[in-house]
Amino acid sequence: MVGQTISHYKDHRELGEQIVGVVSFSEGERNAVFRWVARAMTTPTLWRWTAVALLLAAQVEVWAQDSKTAPAGPSPTLSQRQFLDRHCGTCHNKRLKTAGLNLVQVDLSRLGSQPERWEKVVRKLHTGVMPPPGAPRPSEADRRAMLTWLETSLDAAAAANLNPGRTETLRRLNRTEYQHAIRDLLALDIDASSLLPADESGHGFDNVILGDLSPTLLNRYISAAQKISRLAVGSTQSLQSDIIQNAPDLTQEGHLPGMPLGTRGGLSAPYTFPQDGEYDIQIFLARNFTGVVSGLREDRPHELLVLLDREPVKTFTIQKPADGDDTLLDKYLKVRVSGKAGPHNLAVTFVHEGSSLVNTLRQPPVSRYNDRRYPRTTPGINMISVTGPYAPRGPGDTPTRRRLFVCRPAGPNASQEEECARKILSTLMRRAYRRPVDESEVDRPMAFYRKGRAEGDFDAGIAMALSAVLANPEFLLRVESDSESVRASGVYRVSDLELASRLSFFLWSSIPDDELLDAAVQGKLSQPGEIEQQTRRMLADRRSSNLATNFAGQWLRLRNIDAITPSTSIFRDFDDNLRQAFRKETELFFDSVVREDRSVLTFIKSDYTFLNERLAKHYGIPHVYGSRFRRVPLTPESRRGGLLRQGSVLSVTSYATRTSPVLRGVFVLRNILGAPPPPPPPNVPTLDESTTAANLPMRERLAAHRSNAACASCHRTIDPAGFPLENFNAVGQWRDFEVDGHSVDASGTLPGAGAFQGIDGLEDSLLARPELFATTLTEQLMTFALGRGIEYYDAPAVRKIVRDAEKDNYRFSSLILGIVKSVPFQMRRAEGNGSSVLRTTAKNEQTLSRGRAWNF
Amino acid sequence: MEFLTKKAIPRRTLLKSAQAALALPLLDAMIPAATAWAATPAKPVPRLSFVFIPMGCDHSRWTPPGQESLDKLSPILTPLEPVKDQVTVITNMRLQNAYPGTHDTSNAAFLSAAPAKHTEGSDYYLGTTVDQIAAREIGRDQQLASLELSIDLNPLAGVCNNGYACVYQNCLSWSSPTTPLPSEAHPRVVFERMFGEGGDAAARRSSLNRRESLLDSFTGSIAKIKQRVGPSDRFRLDQYLESVRQVEREIERAEQAVTENKTPDLDRPVGVPAEFADHAKLMFDLQILAFQADITRIVTFQLTREQSNRTYPEIGVPDPHHPTSHHGNDPEKIAKIAKINAFHVSLFSEFLQRMKATPDGDGSLLDHTVILYGSGMGNPSLHDHENLPIVVAGGAATGLKGDRHIRYTEGTNLANLHLTLLDRVGIHMDSFMDSTGKVEGLFELTDVA
Repeated sequence: MVGQTISHYKDHRELGEQIVGVVSFSEGERNAVFRWVARAMTTPTLWRWTAVALLLAAQVEVWAQDSKTAPAGPSPTLSQRQFLDRHCGTCHNKRLKTAGLNLVQVDLSRLGSQPERWEKVVRKLHTGVMPPPGAPRPSEADRRAMLTWLETSLDAAAAANLNPGRTETLRRLNRTEYQHAIRDLLALDIDASSLLPADESGHGFDNVILGDLSPTLLNRYISAAQKISRLAVGSTQSLQSDIIQNAPDLTQEGHLPGMPLGTRGGLSAPYTFPQDGEYDIQIFLARNFTGVVSGLREDRPHELLVLLDREPVKTFTIQKPADGDDTLLDKYLKVRVSGKAGPHNLAVTFVHEGSSLVNTLRQPPVSRYNDRRYPRTTPGINMISVTGPYAPRGPGDTPTRRRLFVCRPAGPNASQEEECARKILSTLMRRAYRRPVDESEVDRPMAFYRKGRAEGDFDAGIAMALSAVLANPEFLLRVESDSESVRASGVYRVSDLELASRLSFFLWSSIPDDELLDAAVQGKLSQPGEIEQQTRRMLADRRSSNLATNFAGQWLRLRNIDAITPSTSIFRDFDDNLRQAFRKETELFFDSVVREDRSVLTFIKSDYTFLNERLAKHYGIPHVYGSRFRRVPLTPESRRGGLLRQGSVLSVTSYATRTSPVLRGVFVLRNILGAPPPPPPPNVPTLDESTTAANLPMRERLAAHRSNAACASCHRTIDPAGFPLENFNAVGQWRDFEVDGHSVDASGTLPGAGAFQGIDGLEDSLLARPELFATTLTEQLMTFALGRGIEYYDAPAVRKIVRDAEKDNYRFSSLILGIVKSVPFQMRRAEGNGSSVLRTTAKNEQTLSRGRAWNF
Repeated sequence: MEFLTKKAIPRRTLLKSAQAALALPLLDAMIPAATAWAATPAKPVPRLSFVFIPMGCDHSRWTPPGQESLDKLSPILTPLEPVKDQVTVITNMRLQNAYPGTHDTSNAAFLSAAPAKHTEGSDYYLGTTVDQIAAREIGRDQQLASLELSIDLNPLAGVCNNGYACVYQNCLSWSSPTTPLPSEAHPRVVFERMFGEGGDAAARRSSLNRRESLLDSFTGSIAKIKQRVGPSDRFRLDQYLESVRQVEREIERAEQAVTENKTPDLDRPVGVPAEFADHAKLMFDLQILAFQADITRIVTFQLTREQSNRTYPEIGVPDPHHPTSHHGNDPEKIAKIAKINAFHVSLFSEFLQRMKATPDGDGSLLDHTVILYGSGMGNPSLHDHENLPIVVAGGAATGLKGDRHIRYTEGTNLANLHLTLLDRVGIHMDSFMDSTGKVEGLFELTDVA
């Protein structure tokens, strides 16, 4: 059955492709249409109808173009009107106007004048959401033909009247962008989350809403500039203290990733010493909720190692005190280490004592952090504090200083120093402001330099000037402005420099590097060959791992993994080790598709993933040992492969105690298929999954969703998209039975598809219409690339990207290249053209009263 | 209370001060040399504090049985017993502008009483919140016009519901309909915002001086950017400059504070306590500190966010809050919601008790602070905004009576209460959003000097 469905779709897809291919050529080569029509006339009736329609369409367009007066795109014919009457008119007619939409007796010759309405129709038809389940469905051929006609008309109209959309003029750097920018500007790793408040997200991404600059934010940007400049130059005089904490639910019974072999548990973290000098490391042991150090025994000492850059600098031996009072036990776990300024790795860990079997009747759980249930059998580290520098010996030689100080003063007099200061600052400012900098612009930070120089030395001057650069709006804000010439002139190409920033903030969430900036300054970047070459270079660069951590972190909600806390009574093996492994698997997997330039369909189905022992055990995959992650080839028996089988995605779409077919269904529909369900209607209580007894199987518990008419309109689509994942529990483990012994019923369906079974069926169904997933991913990437929501006027560009990518088997780079070459990425709408502030406001007020108008 | 038996780990070993739940060995260099505590303002001043809880309550265990007094407290409100003479429980408040019922609007409307524009983009629009109106009037002379606190370090991304931008769910305070104020959950950052980064008086003065120069430079560059952009974006840049002015004011006030040397003798909080109760307590303590040092007079605190999936195993609720709140009248789930409600109230009660124990002028800090505690949602299973759980506390010096349970007419707008509270701290407005008048019976009739 499933196989038949696939071949069914495949056939039609191929036919559809022919149509799409031909019609998109209709500008030039109409003969092809006629050839295809001639062939199609020999096929069954409906195809003949389609052929006639196409023939007419093509012909009409010829006429229209001949008369040079016509609207763009082919004209409607009888069959389009019949299609709308038959399949849409029952609800979307003049009288009912369901969803505010009347599709009967509308003027089909002027589609292009109402793209917003018709793109919505296209989307519903494309994803198969409409006609709704239960209503008579058009034949696949009719549907394809209608879609093709609509898309061709809309694309032609859009091409004649370009609307690239308008990105915000002013956008501040968000937390991630700030952190990356500092890394690339100063070769300095900072933790921006301790310096800046969290960003708000819109349309699913945190780089959309960045126009605000509240006093709190401004304050924090200023503080960050001061702290970072001191750290970069190494001018910190006073002591500073930081703490590095382990997650409270980290199990430390075995070897942890990144630690030297032969060690157990502990904590390791990168840490930058601001100066050559001495630093106190104070260790705090993990204690249980009564305040007693966990895992200590009187009869057994533990060796505790302090490592600086993996070299042991101190060993402590700890043991439970004879009198049992361990209050002061870790007070003396303090060591003063001597280190050079710059980045280091600090680690505190235990010498592995050999296996200590726990005497228990049942199989011991893997997780051991929770003293109420499964106490540690050996001590663990809660946190360390680092305080220093004591006895500072100067700023030393750090990667940051090497990057910042591009010169040293040629001599001791003021003019020689100023000459070098100017050189340092202009180099820095070009990178920080992402553009060439006038000599006169350097004057402002030079004033800061002089002030700092007067109070201290040359370095103090540079530190102060650096803080002025980092606190400058030219660094903190991304500004895209209409030049005088384009203002009020419609749409325009963004400048090469703006394009360079768009590119680097898309791929790296950071500032352009020198090579990209040089290309932009030379005016080369707007050339198609150059932008492709630069894009490929940047994708190959390590910094593009940003797409896995930052883009995918939001698209797949990996960011929320830290917030999931599955119930410890039900999922007793869940701990932070597993949580981090979930994240790592998905990041490595995503990154492998980027690095190896695989088809994005790999995200749906793959024969490999990335595992370490902990995760492999969790998944029940044998022969993977050790804490290190490695690529693991998969067999069908492993039941893994593809994003939808990964613990990360499965757990962020679950509740702490159980799975949620609703959350998973919405995720599949919205983030994978691109057919998000509409929001619940006003005043209908949010749907409740627990109105019936909890001992029923999940499907029956959710039955109310589909029997109650108010709920059913959405949940008959949502729930069946989540049910196929029911074989995975709330922490992503395979199960054949629900908690209470009912066997799992994983049958489900997707809009526009037939019924299928389980994850295999879901994946096959998604792969049968690969253009839908490719479209969704393109839209998600484009939202992230542009920093704005995808609107109806972007649909033609998205369609072009997906069509072009299809020819390349949806390789990851084909999506990325399609986006960077697209109209919305390369162009911008000038202010006052089609979306003045006033009009936008008016439109939005309308939206408010009607509910969401454009619901992707 | 059994909830409160747990302790943050280092407290046992390290802390002399009960003020901070997580701190490190004191760094001598960080603590100002003189630690004279000259915080108390010469004359007690009115202050406002708003504490937000998400996802409504179990009314059957929330509403006090008494008709007028708090002779008998309800199970959820029992922790308020020690301070009930300064507590008024209010029944039957509603937020009609929070409809259609969502988590986003519950948070957004709580202090604004305004409808949130339905958008996921940067064109969000709400209303100025009651705390920010107060900040403009009675907060403007303080170092910080207002202080926004929260407890969730990482706002959830990508899952704000029903097409509303996450900003509605994350931000309680809005200084204008288009300016949501980010809140701070990290104790150290709050502390540094209040008292600077430490050092002796000269170092702190010099640090403030540098911040001023950086702001000047910022302003200068904004002027240049202004020439490049169109009219609507110029307006936005003007808003940035308004932020600059506000930060400048903060710095000026802080400079005065340096000379007056009223930095507290208190362990500098360093990390974020792992346990919810410890973290909440620390944030409440910072609030007390801010009032005590008169750094600000207006504080908002989002004790937990809407849609929070926080679990509370420490009180026997290992289930996540949000899905449990969709209780569908399952008695077991309702009981769990009640436990969470009571846990939050117990933390609030501790805060009130510490406020009461802190002297201020002729009375206590509690006497001089009007505190609103509550949720923008009523019954979480229905997502309605009727009969919101609301408590007004403190404010004896402003005439707040206490030990009362007031039942207003069903569907009384919460904006009426906001209007009344503003009035009591000296801000007289004719109306606030959908207010229909002030509420009665909350304050003594006698005017307070």
